[in-house]
Amino acid sequence: MADLTKLTPGQRTLLQGNEAIARGALEAGISLAAAYPGNPSSEILESLADSAAAAGIYVEWSANEKVALEAAAGASFAGLRAMASMKQNGVNVCQDFICNLTISGTKGGIVLVTADDPGSISSTNEQDARFIAKLAELPLLEPSTPAECLAMMRFAFELSEQIGNLVVLRSISRLSHTRAGVTPGALPASRPQPYWDPKVAWHTLPTVLRHKAMLAKLAKAGEIMSAAGFNAYSGPERPELLVIASASSALYADEARDRLGVAERVGLLKLGCTWPLDEALLLRHLAATEQILFAEEVDPFIEDNVKALYAQHAPELGVKRFFGAATGHTPPVGEMSPDVLAEALGKILGREPATVDAAYLERVAQRVAALVPPREFGFCPGCPHRASFWSMKQVLAADGRDGLVSGDIGCYSLAMLPTGFQRANAVHCMGSGPGVAGGLGQLRSQGFDQPVITTVGDSTFFHAALPAIINARWNQSDFVLVVLDNSATAMTGFQPHPGTGQTATGRPGSQLDPQTVLTALGVPCSVVDPYDLEATQQALYDAVQAGGGVRALILRRVCALVQNKRGGHPYTVSVDPDKCRGENCGCHRFCSRVFRCPGLAFDEAAGKATIDPVVCVGCGVCTQICPAGAIQAEPRKEAAA
Amino acid sequence: MGAVAELPANQACLDRLTSEVINQGLCVACGACLGLCPHLIFLDGQVAAPDACGLSEGRCIDLCPMDPAPEPAARRQELHQALGSSYQPPIGPVIEAWQGRAVAADLQGKVQYGGVVSELVSLALEEGLVGEAVVTVAGQRGVPQGARAKNRPEVLAAAGSIYAGGGALGELNRALAEPADHSLAVVGLPCQVLAIAGMKSHPRYPAAAQRLGLVIGLFCTMNLPVRGLRRLLQAEGVEGPVLKSDFPPPPAGVYQVWNQSGLHELPIEKVRDIRFSGCALCPDLTAELSDLSVGACEGRPGLNTILVRTPAGAKLVERARKLGRLELEPAAAESMDHLQIAATNKRARAEQARAERQHG
Amino acid sequence: MKALKQEPLDLIVTGVGGQGNVLASQVLGRALLAAGYQVTVGETYGLSQRGGPVMSMVRVTKEKVMGPTIPAHSAAALVSLEPLEALRVLGTYGHPGVVVLTNDRPLLPLNVIAGTDRYPDLAELKQALSENCAKLYWLPATETALNLGNPILANVIMLGALAAAGLLPIGAAEIEAALGAIFPESKMGVNRRALAKGAELAAAA
Repeated sequence: MADLTKLTPGQRTLLQGNEAIARGALEAGISLAAAYPGNPSSEILESLADSAAAAGIYVEWSANEKVALEAAAGASFAGLRAMASMKQNGVNVCQDFICNLTISGTKGGIVLVTADDPGSISSTNEQDARFIAKLAELPLLEPSTPAECLAMMRFAFELSEQIGNLVVLRSISRLSHTRAGVTPGALPASRPQPYWDPKVAWHTLPTVLRHKAMLAKLAKAGEIMSAAGFNAYSGPERPELLVIASASSALYADEARDRLGVAERVGLLKLGCTWPLDEALLLRHLAATEQILFAEEVDPFIEDNVKALYAQHAPELGVKRFFGAATGHTPPVGEMSPDVLAEALGKILGREPATVDAAYLERVAQRVAALVPPREFGFCPGCPHRASFWSMKQVLAADGRDGLVSGDIGCYSLAMLPTGFQRANAVHCMGSGPGVAGGLGQLRSQGFDQPVITTVGDSTFFHAALPAIINARWNQSDFVLVVLDNSATAMTGFQPHPGTGQTATGRPGSQLDPQTVLTALGVPCSVVDPYDLEATQQALYDAVQAGGGVRALILRRVCALVQNKRGGHPYTVSVDPDKCRGENCGCHRFCSRVFRCPGLAFDEAAGKATIDPVVCVGCGVCTQICPAGAIQAEPRKEAAA
Repeated sequence: MGAVAELPANQACLDRLTSEVINQGLCVACGACLGLCPHLIFLDGQVAAPDACGLSEGRCIDLCPMDPAPEPAARRQELHQALGSSYQPPIGPVIEAWQGRAVAADLQGKVQYGGVVSELVSLALEEGLVGEAVVTVAGQRGVPQGARAKNRPEVLAAAGSIYAGGGALGELNRALAEPADHSLAVVGLPCQVLAIAGMKSHPRYPAAAQRLGLVIGLFCTMNLPVRGLRRLLQAEGVEGPVLKSDFPPPPAGVYQVWNQSGLHELPIEKVRDIRFSGCALCPDLTAELSDLSVGACEGRPGLNTILVRTPAGAKLVERARKLGRLELEPAAAESMDHLQIAATNKRARAEQARAERQHG
Repeated sequence: MKALKQEPLDLIVTGVGGQGNVLASQVLGRALLAAGYQVTVGETYGLSQRGGPVMSMVRVTKEKVMGPTIPAHSAAALVSLEPLEALRVLGTYGHPGVVVLTNDRPLLPLNVIAGTDRYPDLAELKQALSENCAKLYWLPATETALNLGNPILANVIMLGALAAAGLLPIGAAEIEAALGAIFPESKMGVNRRALAKGAELAAAA
């Protein structure tokens, strides 16, 4: 990411949605930003971190999302503008705080940015986090373009201060990771001095009275938002069909309308402010049409709320037909697209979208079906997780009691796929690995004798695993905790975390060692290099056999991608064709077929295993699995010390 | 999050081993399948196969002595025929039977009974009859494992029975796969000797027929799984590691085990409870497919019984006697009677267990 | 500002995670924006470092702001850093008029490495592409990049080829300027050579 303070006001530039969010926050004069990394939100804080020194603000990667939002609230109470950003899952992590903060209210402008992931492009779910706005009665903004991301962030801080409450801005993957022209505004000349008058207290008592005040704030927010210009209508005065859309879906609806040539028949009401709804605006447009189609991702949030509003006013409005998720015209799962909306519009208006010659489509589809295999996700070449899960697979098989691995969130979630030998038996959310393991480990007295391993990454360890580990230690559950310590929050782009000793802005922080933490908790703990398969398997086997209580093994080896950036791996790996017996070996292509590192391949022409030099990074782990000793690792000449 | 590919459906040979032997609890950890195939793991005395191999033929199922097909008598008959000997239950073909012991002082205190096996293997190496011997030694944390011996000290390091499955034939497989042509000796239990006979007579393993110069069998009533034995000893308060163990001949009725603090004795019934289930199906007390077999001499502690079965076995015993390495006398008729009865009983028990397994 | 061949001019840049796909689309976006066009570059990544397919969509207009997703079967050009991915994407976004530029160097999917699936015969793959597009540029970009010293340069070579193929309202100079805004001058020498090589390859195709 780059220092966003260097952008020239008034000069249009290509910015990613996340960068535009960050720039909007800078222009609004934030003093503090905190976040926990998670795609598609990560670049927001990365950009702010890279701008922090020039802007003179405080930016941190927090240990988790709840801590991040609490830090932002602290700054708000001291009169400063502050924000927390996260992916949709993070909103759940801080939900408890949100639902209390909304009652206590806030002072300095404070914004929660959630970047949702329709289609689950990089997530374990596609949860629609907009519901937090309704749950906690908070104003909700949904930008459509990077330019609007910037404008809405500026507005969000103003709004927050005007009503004295948190404001939620919801992005989605396709916006956060979209680049488009954005014209930045000016940065503030100064920011307020933090001060918290000790006579002022921020809390929730008396709750009912404050709840009532909070609803009044929401009503006030509605008034301010309706004048903000983020809701816009285009189309005929009395459209045959009204599309009510938000975010990218509004752009897709516009495009679909053009492609079908029905711009004169279809109105588009693009909503940027989606909670509370601008009731007057909606009633006016509902009155002007008989048919309404909703376009939004993922859940029918606007759809259901508009229908509720309609129900209240049905006597005046008369009979209307609503189309959307409820009628199957739009999907309540996955991403929206111009095609989905063109089809929905066509269905309602009786128009066929223009398409390509059917013979072409059939021919291409046939060629793709015949020639194009899927492309599986997998651990990177050299990834320590491949080695770790290989050892877990071997050891649990050797143990022979149908051992289980309770997985967690990180790159190593991919262990549920063949790349991790399908050795993750459960994967849910940050910290759930040791939590689930804790319950299993308490079933011994009821005859459950399957060994239980749980895997957590180093970042996940600090984020949410600790309470589960403490619980297991306290209640004496029986499992093996494997900390997959690759010294990075690798899944989301190598952000620092408490175990790395670095901070978001490069300022040195205190380094927390999982081993020290575990030892202090009374959990016996050893450290092994997962690249050493024999030592890892021995240590894992011993830990599995030990039984009784929580015992930990830290498999420590830096992320292969980080190692690539640090000058690379130590070896040049190759296959000795004289030693590789190919199809005569009896291993049946063990290296490529079973170990499945992308650097390996079977050369069909030569009938031998081979290494793809473009892909292989040179970790050398596969030399340990060849039964013929045919894979050899030579020290790389220019290897880093 | 990406496509999940199915594993290949074709996984015949390893699949058969897994479904018919390992998952049936029949594996006796002989090691015939181990050493070369990367799909098979041997850890802490147990064989496991985590991944499908996708091949229809392989050593794992070719050589497994516990493969239920063909049934034991027919298989043994076939193997005797292939090796040019005759099927003579209950103790197999015998051309000479001796009782005796090794003379050398360096064997005392290390060996089981008379030290005949260690002396014969050592002599075969010294005389150049074989270049290497595959024996079983105590490995990490007392778990037995296969090892190679090239000289007398290495043979002596393996002296003494461990009575736990150590997969030693994996080492034999590795030795035979090496590009070498020297002759090999191997010492094994009846199950291992059965697997070796299979290897010697199978066209897919020509190195075994060419290079196995000497097969010494050990008398065996049952063998114990490493993990089960560890649990039993823990429950009985015997601290590891085990230095030596023994089943003294009837009517002792005990299992003897030595650790740092000395000798401990457990009732034989407790040990029988944890033996390999596969051992219950084994009809062979005296390793009848060996060149020569050695065991305890009933009623005469400190002496071995030696059953010489082939000319190669006879030649080595004769050489040892001539050099004064072994003190031998012809086996007493009474001892041989006892051995016949014990062997007949084991055979009968095995047949009954097999019938129960098939019909129960 | 030159006229666009069509409005919106929809381009796809695809490949496999780690091939520099995102960088290529970003450079394209910057160059077009600098030339005065409206640009929307939609990117799909997240697991992109982990060997899966990656796709960027570049949408160019004179004024109208487009959404980040191209409708099916309406890409004007498809640039692929991996030949299999070219056909995969052609299946969804191709039409008889599409121009396809692809690197000819396969990166085997893990499932192919494992033997679960087969990588198609390259000649057959090439034929399937050429029979279903207006023009196919089948280019040895990785091989050329290796000759320049680093396989990652395949992305810049493909940009050079795209600029030379005459589909864009901008040329190699604008792309070079956009690269210059991202890379330090020390790395621009090899990038310039890569752009030029890409143009040569396209001219020869």
